[in-house]
Amino acid sequence: MADGIRVVIVDDHSIFRSGLRSDLDDTVVVVGEAADVPSAIAVVAETRPDVVLLDVHLPGGSGGGGTGGTEATGGEDVIRASSSVPTRFLALSVSDAAEDVVRVIRAGARGYITKGSSGVEVSRAVRAVADGDAVFSPRLAGFVLDAFGAVAGETATVDDELDRLSTREQEVMRLIARGYAYKEVASALFISIKTVETHVSAVLRKLQLSSRHELTAWASERRLL
Amino acid sequence: MGRMTPSAAPEAARAGRRARPVPPPRPPLARPREAVVAGVAEGLARHLGAPVGVVRALFIVLALLGGAGILFYAWCWALAPRAAGEQPPTSSAPVAWILTACAAVGLLPLALLSLVGGRGFVTIVAVTTLAAVAAGVWAALIDRRDPVRGPRHATVVRSADAVVLVVVFALAALAGRDGRIADVLLIVVPVAGLAVLLSSNLVGKWRELSGERDKRIREEQRAEMAAHLHDSVLQTLALIQNRGGASSEVARLARAQERELRAWLYDGDQPADSDLSTDLRDYAAALELDYPVRIDVVAAGTSTERASGEVAAAAREAMLNAARHAGGEVSVYIEGGAGGVDVFVRDRGAGFELDHVPSDRLGVRQSIIGRLRRLGGTATVTSGPTGTEVHLRSAREEAGARG
Repeated sequence: MADGIRVVIVDDHSIFRSGLRSDLDDTVVVVGEAADVPSAIAVVAETRPDVVLLDVHLPGGSGGGGTGGTEATGGEDVIRASSSVPTRFLALSVSDAAEDVVRVIRAGARGYITKGSSGVEVSRAVRAVADGDAVFSPRLAGFVLDAFGAVAGETATVDDELDRLSTREQEVMRLIARGYAYKEVASALFISIKTVETHVSAVLRKLQLSSRHELTAWASERRLL
Repeated sequence: MGRMTPSAAPEAARAGRRARPVPPPRPPLARPREAVVAGVAEGLARHLGAPVGVVRALFIVLALLGGAGILFYAWCWALAPRAAGEQPPTSSAPVAWILTACAAVGLLPLALLSLVGGRGFVTIVAVTTLAAVAAGVWAALIDRRDPVRGPRHATVVRSADAVVLVVVFALAALAGRDGRIADVLLIVVPVAGLAVLLSSNLVGKWRELSGERDKRIREEQRAEMAAHLHDSVLQTLALIQNRGGASSEVARLARAQERELRAWLYDGDQPADSDLSTDLRDYAAALELDYPVRIDVVAAGTSTERASGEVAAAAREAMLNAARHAGGEVSVYIEGGAGGVDVFVRDRGAGFELDHVPSDRLGVRQSIIGRLRRLGGTATVTSGPTGTEVHLRSAREEAGARG
């Protein structure tokens, strides 16, 4: 147990925290909980966990993160304030409002899963994030294909181009959108799981760094991710 | 008119029933949307089954009998509703101009009297002012919304009426100073008229403003409620799904409720567009209620494919198969581009061999593969021990293969 992945759960609903806590499997150790932005920042700084399970919407945030949103997505504030701590963030959201999820991912979260996911799924995602991988849901993959113009046939010609996806990245994203697990993606494309993870991480990096205006435009227009 | 009084009406109806077994139902008393003035005479004529000319003549005769007709006209106008309809009500007679003309004509004797002096000055001032104010108010409140006339017409009429009132004021002041008119207070009448004329504009503005405010308040309340529900009910529903296990009865119900609530919260009053992805989402929600299955529908790109199309029908069949035979988690991915539309339906069931399906089972062969073939597209069914995936592809004619 001592060598399990150390996790902090940040969510303003205590019943959800305790529920998630009991659902997580043995490889995950919960070292702290927090219910709002200031306490989350304090707990993360104190316990220095491997992974923070972070609700996208938290009370006590600065409000909208400077982008003029109507609702404060406190999750974003927690990530920005904890930049000095070497910890990884996995966003948990009950909302499918794409602008909120994309905002938290652009702030630095390594992935996003919905709160309806089972304990097994959350544990698996926590392990993936702890290993430095990105966690993509089918919806997020579909959104990425849309936002990077892959559906319209735009393809990156250079590997490090930030505003488009390479052919391989598009293939991986399409399979994830179709509901394939990483292992299934790997065998479908005849590549190793490690390569799949590399591609997914590259897409996550593009999602975080790209200045493509469609990212936010699409997100707010569609509402659904 | 006697038939209109409440006590007379049932009596007349009873008499009518005795004379004719089935009296045709009277059309309701409503003013038509396209009227000469306000539609009172026409509406009344329709209601009573009398010719319009007779009703109009009756109104005029009654108006001459001490103004009873005018009162009755006003009463009908106030109480009879406009006939239901989409277009804004319009009147064909230039009522505002007629009233303005009356006021202008009144200026002539007024000028004469103010110079020479004589009886009736007070009455003419009052009538002229009244006509000018009525014209201005009519233009501001009624003609402004009339598509035939519009706000520009209203401005012109009101300016003309303002000029008339200023002249009346000047003549009254002239007559008062020369002492031909004893009542100096008379100059207050046109000034008051002018004030009413100017303020009638404010009524329209205020109406617009309060309408907008009402709308904004409604939206704010809705947003507030959405935020509250998001924090409470949606969280609870997520928790129920989380604790209940993916395909348990409770989790499925919670998921259906969550979907419904979310659609109401975020899609608002906009009518649901019946494109392919919306339709498949709705179908997935319906399937989740009937089968132990969780269907995740992901859509990318914009699809022009209609929900009533063959692709949608084939996709629904594939989803139904997945829900019925595999259950558990089902993923649906729709990608629509310029070249056509791709639909993937993937389940994690035990899989099946297409060749082993009895030929009398039409689901896969006819509803999915045959449908797409007739359409000029392709349907591929890949089945293995880890699940089955149906890939529907419908290409548009002008576009070739897409990367």
